[in-house]
Amino acid sequence: MATKPGKGDGKQVKGKRTSKNKTEGPGGGGGDADDFDAWMKSRQLLKPDDQLDLTEAELGEEITKVLTPTNTNIVRNLVVYNFKEGEFVLAPVPGNTVTLIAFAGNSLHVDSEEGRRQIEESDEIGYPLPMPNYTVVEQRETDNVDGEEGEGEEDDDGATAKDVAAEDEDVEEEDDEEAKGTEGDEGEGEGEGEGAANVDTQTIPPPRSQFGGNVLQWIIYDSYMENFAESQKDGTKKEDRKGGKREKKFRDKSAIAEQLNKKYLKCWQILERMINQNIYDDIAHDYRYWEDPADEFREGEGNLLPLWKFQYDKTKKMNVTDILFNPSYYDLFAVCFGSHDFMKQTNEGYLCLFTVKNPSFPDYIIQTDCGVMCCDIHPTYPFLAVIGLYDGNVAVYNLREDCKEPLYVSRGVNCKHGECVWQVKWGLDMADGEVNFFSVSSDGRVFNWILMQNKLWVTTIITLYRENGLVDGPDGTKVTLKSGGSCMVFHPVDNKVFLVGTECGYIYKCSTAFSSKYLMTYYAHNMSVYRIDFNRFNSNIFVSCGADWMVKVWEDMRPDPLFIFDLGAAVGDVKWAPYSSTVFAAVTTEGKVHVFDLNVNKYKAICIQAVVPKRKNKLTRLSFNEKLAFIVVGDEKGVTTSLKLSPNLRMMVKPPKKQLYLDQNTLQIGKLEKLLSLVRELPEGSNVVPDAATTVRS
Amino acid sequence: MADEEAGKEGEKKIVHVYPLVKHTDMNEEMRIEAIELSITACEKYSSNYEHAARIIKENMDKKFGIYWHVVVGEGFGFEVSYETENILYLFFAGNLAIVLWKCS
Repeated sequence: MATKPGKGDGKQVKGKRTSKNKTEGPGGGGGDADDFDAWMKSRQLLKPDDQLDLTEAELGEEITKVLTPTNTNIVRNLVVYNFKEGEFVLAPVPGNTVTLIAFAGNSLHVDSEEGRRQIEESDEIGYPLPMPNYTVVEQRETDNVDGEEGEGEEDDDGATAKDVAAEDEDVEEEDDEEAKGTEGDEGEGEGEGEGAANVDTQTIPPPRSQFGGNVLQWIIYDSYMENFAESQKDGTKKEDRKGGKREKKFRDKSAIAEQLNKKYLKCWQILERMINQNIYDDIAHDYRYWEDPADEFREGEGNLLPLWKFQYDKTKKMNVTDILFNPSYYDLFAVCFGSHDFMKQTNEGYLCLFTVKNPSFPDYIIQTDCGVMCCDIHPTYPFLAVIGLYDGNVAVYNLREDCKEPLYVSRGVNCKHGECVWQVKWGLDMADGEVNFFSVSSDGRVFNWILMQNKLWVTTIITLYRENGLVDGPDGTKVTLKSGGSCMVFHPVDNKVFLVGTECGYIYKCSTAFSSKYLMTYYAHNMSVYRIDFNRFNSNIFVSCGADWMVKVWEDMRPDPLFIFDLGAAVGDVKWAPYSSTVFAAVTTEGKVHVFDLNVNKYKAICIQAVVPKRKNKLTRLSFNEKLAFIVVGDEKGVTTSLKLSPNLRMMVKPPKKQLYLDQNTLQIGKLEKLLSLVRELPEGSNVVPDAATTVRS
Repeated sequence: MADEEAGKEGEKKIVHVYPLVKHTDMNEEMRIEAIELSITACEKYSSNYEHAARIIKENMDKKFGIYWHVVVGEGFGFEVSYETENILYLFFAGNLAIVLWKCS
């Protein structure tokens, strides 16, 4: 194999030779000249002074060089003295391997045993290992190396002294490294030899505590109560945590605001009253103290002084359908607003409670979604108001709470009247204290409503079937005719007995105890009966009025009236005066108020006064104040007028000189009795019917 | 008024059913979890307290490490040692007491 270039290189970079060339070195000396000449010819290059001058032939000579894998530096005849045999024996030939460099790194394979151990110790794999730390090892010349060098010199034929020197250095370096390698290994071995040490640790047990208690139902209950009270007191924190309670908190807030508003409202109401009483000071005095001086000169006649007009903006176009004084507060009266006209039904209705102490604005306003036709205020609980509506429903309101939502309201098809409710009346409390009321409607039924804990319980008291009212139906069936109820009133003494006025003009005397019979039927009017009212002093006497212009005074169980008055127009309402047994007042559609005192004049009214214009307006309802001498009348324009009764209209009975000790009540009863005896003895007056009861369904 | 009085009386007898923590030293997270768990279990097995207790215990073991102890009942007394920060004493549904603690 020709290795000319290798030799050339060897010559030129002699000083920088590496140990790599060492194997080639011994046999490379001859080829140097050829290379050099070739260089000289082609290029003018500097040549070292000590370069050999070779002839052309010498340069052209071909030198064969064989490379073998044998290590020529190995000493082949190395002997060792054997003490056992007492002679030199050949030492085993070392292998061909020459270690050029060896140093112990401190990188370890992950899977190696040492590596695993270190990982365990450091507890993490990604831990950066320390940088390698090379230790300088002392140079050591061994015999072995010397021998090797000597061999090298022998083998190397053409090598110069300098070459040898260079090689020497190389070898020394090698040895250094070998020595270092072995030392490093030894060091490692020592490290391994240290062995595993046992280290014991013991964990501290987790801290423990003691807790105890008793669970009993009352303890649970008390805890709840305590917690509840606390959360109510400073409610914010707990309630915030429990999201579900937020709404309640909000409600509480609004309730507080409402309470505050109510307080303000009350203040304003008082202020309003004060202002009104200042403005209308003279009228405010009139309604209590004014006495018409002209009455002294008018025998048997009286007059009415208009005081205030009560109205409410939203009810200006509605009819006053009922007026009623509160039984407990003499100055407070309820006015119902609706419509009597079938064609002009509004889809709203109002119940307003006015007080005569403040004529400008109602004290309470209840709004409904259809016309309010009637109302009644409970005599024992003056805050309970029941109203009957045009659509047949009834509702109970608590005036002490806000008047927006009814306390009770009838619901459903079966639990209401089929037609307009004409009158509602609170009944006497049931045996077990339940509050109840009665209602009468155009559908010919009288219902009793009981205020249960959470609902209205309805029972039918009576169905107002007509006597001989069986007519042929469309397909051969029989239809029983009913008469629509239009008003009702309870007997002041006998709480079971009541009178019902009907749209066909009859008055039925009924009892709540049974529903099959009428106790009595009065053929009272030719048209609808509008009102029946019992006399305050004699419970056998009642007055009725109707659309047939008539006002009739009746005695119980007497089929014919005692008095008949024709007022010349439909009579909307008639009421007995609370102060006198012989005085009653009626209002007509002509807009007139008629006041009668039977003791003064048995044939005509002692006062007829137009309160509203005849053509434009009609009076609908009327009510006497229980305490003071004035009446309120309602008209079709939503206005309620209060009228002062002049002294002649409220004549009291003067006790006879012999009987000065008699009180007014007895005198009034006596007065009426005296009057009645006159009437009863009339020749055409028939006797009291012994048994007037008729069966309802005949 | 008759029905008004009845209303007042009704107000007096409010029955509180919300969960009421009587005693606990748990951290927030564990407490919420434990309360939630107790309520769910007691509502689900309102007729069988044993079953409810078992459910609570098993779930607590799973979530917060083993050896939880749970008592559900309407009347009992208890005196326990527990690993600190691992006890909950809770009233629920107005008549039920639930005690859960951890002790390994």
